[in-house]
Amino acid sequence: MSDFVEVKDLRRLFDVSKPLVTRLIERAPKQYLKAVDGVSFSIRKGETFALVGESGSGKSTVARMVVGLLPATEGTITIDGVSMRDKADAAARQKLRRRIQMIFQDPYASLNPRWRVERIVAEPIRAFGLITTPDAIRARVGELLTLVGLHPDDGRKFPHEFSGGQRQRIAIARALASNAEFLVCDEPTSALDVSVQAQILNLMKELQESFGLTYLFISHNLAVVRYMATRIGVMYLGRLVEIAPARELFARPRHPYTRMLLDAVPDLHMSGRTRTPVGGEIPNPINPPPGCTFHPRCPLANERCRREAPAFIDGVACHAVEEGRVAA
Amino acid sequence: MSSPLPGQPVLSVRDLRVEFATRRGVLKAIDGVSFDIARGEVLGVVGESGAGKSVTGSAVIGLIEPPGRIAGGEIVLSGERIDNLPAEALRRIRGKRIGMIFQDPLTSLNPLYTVAEQLVETIRTHEDMTARQARTRAIDLLAEVGIPAPERRIDSYPHEFSGGMRQRVVIALALCAGPELIIADEPTTALDVSVQAQIITLLKKLCRDHGTAVMLVTHDMGVIAETADRVAVMYAGRIAEIGPVREVVSRPLHPYAAGLMGAIPTLDQDIGRLVQIPGSMPRLTAIPPGCAFNPRCPRVFDRCRVDRPEPIEHRPAHKVACHLYDPAERSAALEAQP
Repeated sequence: MSDFVEVKDLRRLFDVSKPLVTRLIERAPKQYLKAVDGVSFSIRKGETFALVGESGSGKSTVARMVVGLLPATEGTITIDGVSMRDKADAAARQKLRRRIQMIFQDPYASLNPRWRVERIVAEPIRAFGLITTPDAIRARVGELLTLVGLHPDDGRKFPHEFSGGQRQRIAIARALASNAEFLVCDEPTSALDVSVQAQILNLMKELQESFGLTYLFISHNLAVVRYMATRIGVMYLGRLVEIAPARELFARPRHPYTRMLLDAVPDLHMSGRTRTPVGGEIPNPINPPPGCTFHPRCPLANERCRREAPAFIDGVACHAVEEGRVAA
Repeated sequence: MSSPLPGQPVLSVRDLRVEFATRRGVLKAIDGVSFDIARGEVLGVVGESGAGKSVTGSAVIGLIEPPGRIAGGEIVLSGERIDNLPAEALRRIRGKRIGMIFQDPLTSLNPLYTVAEQLVETIRTHEDMTARQARTRAIDLLAEVGIPAPERRIDSYPHEFSGGMRQRVVIALALCAGPELIIADEPTTALDVSVQAQIITLLKKLCRDHGTAVMLVTHDMGVIAETADRVAVMYAGRIAEIGPVREVVSRPLHPYAAGLMGAIPTLDQDIGRLVQIPGSMPRLTAIPPGCAFNPRCPRVFDRCRVDRPEPIEHRPAHKVACHLYDPAERSAALEAQP
């Protein structure tokens, strides 16, 4: 199967310089934060590709660039053969828009509190002019609400009348309204309680099976990612450190950071297990360490790691793995 | 008075009830909660939003603000009843005999004072010490919670620390006066997993070393499984199940606890589909009669809709509030099952 989404050497800088006058007085140069630095991955049709990482790893920035909410500084994003930056593809891109939707983390912030649910869900239908008669739109909205486990009559209500889990269902109904094929989900369940999280994750899996949806799934929760993803990319300080099929990543993590992450997650059935706590925290991304950005926390770091950034070879970016210093 | 007699629990909560008076009537946030915490023991309190776990913690330290009030029950700290003490006496207990750790370390530290000023002030409020002695003690505390170069870092402001380091400072503050009990309300929720692991390990070690009792309030079952000795599962203001952590995790009794454990995705096994509890927790304005869980319960029967279950000791030290485990119902329920 060919790749549905292809992301190549994606970079995004944020200007975090001080105000111009301060800069002139202090003779300080402009300062940039590398939120995403050379990220490449591809997603096949119908699969769930997950990006995991801790805060500040750049996973949400990647998601925003993929849907087009944020322009990339460098790099290319190609979805179903259409470039998201190339001017020549502008017409094709317009057609593609309908097929891409996003689900956000906070269902309290992502629904307009002054609109009734039916208007929220119908917005993509109206925006893309998919259905024109009011009756047909109403019928379609009812159908979408039923699909996500709500009642068609719920359309008359306002978002504040729903719980967090129900709101996330509304957000999913809205995303499906334009017959989207590719959903970018940025931490869709991290604002929800576990029993509600289970409902939403199950719903997302069911919808994927019935409509053949493709997901880019962003999460910091490794257990959730394991449940959802086909393939997983692990990010650290704006770079991908490892990509592997889900099962393989959990059975045989290769990058020292992936190992550390897996080791750090408290798990239900490991009570009393002695863990090896890792020292340190994610460094400031404005001044990342030279060489491999993980080297200050890495138990395997040597001189080369401190000097030279590792290339992404065969699914992992690590000198220790490349040199065979670690049992891969 | 400050050290409990042998065998006496550090904290004993009996039939606690907390109410909030609102325009729509009186809301029962906590309705008949009882538990004990022994010296050096970590009691985990889990539940979903609105279950009443944080309110329980606030009630113990006397931080329930009007319109909320403790409507009944007793809170006993090392043999001394504290829920009916005047505000001034309670203030002296708070911070000295009961330490507190909250979720967000940035809001529990004052941004305008250095860590040294905050630690020294707290130490001197509770102990008779000179400023110099208090500073030495503060540096020792920071070293104990794992802050590198504490004699230099002590004069930094909270914003100069990272999230994990800040939470360590908060833990040092809680430990200042050598409390008998620490209430930790979601202490690791705002932290990344790798840092969370460090804080859990630290908290466990400190309690073991000092013999401090800990009430760990969190929604994260994984954190509880790793840290707690016993766990109380709360639902709609009541304890559904309380018992040794391994038993509750691997062999939960209450249908809600069982659903909750099944709903959590795990790292070490492939799951085809997560267990799903239909519906969501009732709002406090609309708690159903009988067992609060009955509309969502897969094993509900007639009695659950009218009669509220009381905790039953089903296994030693393992209580469950569910009619399924009532010896009188048990034979009938078992017969009904094929």
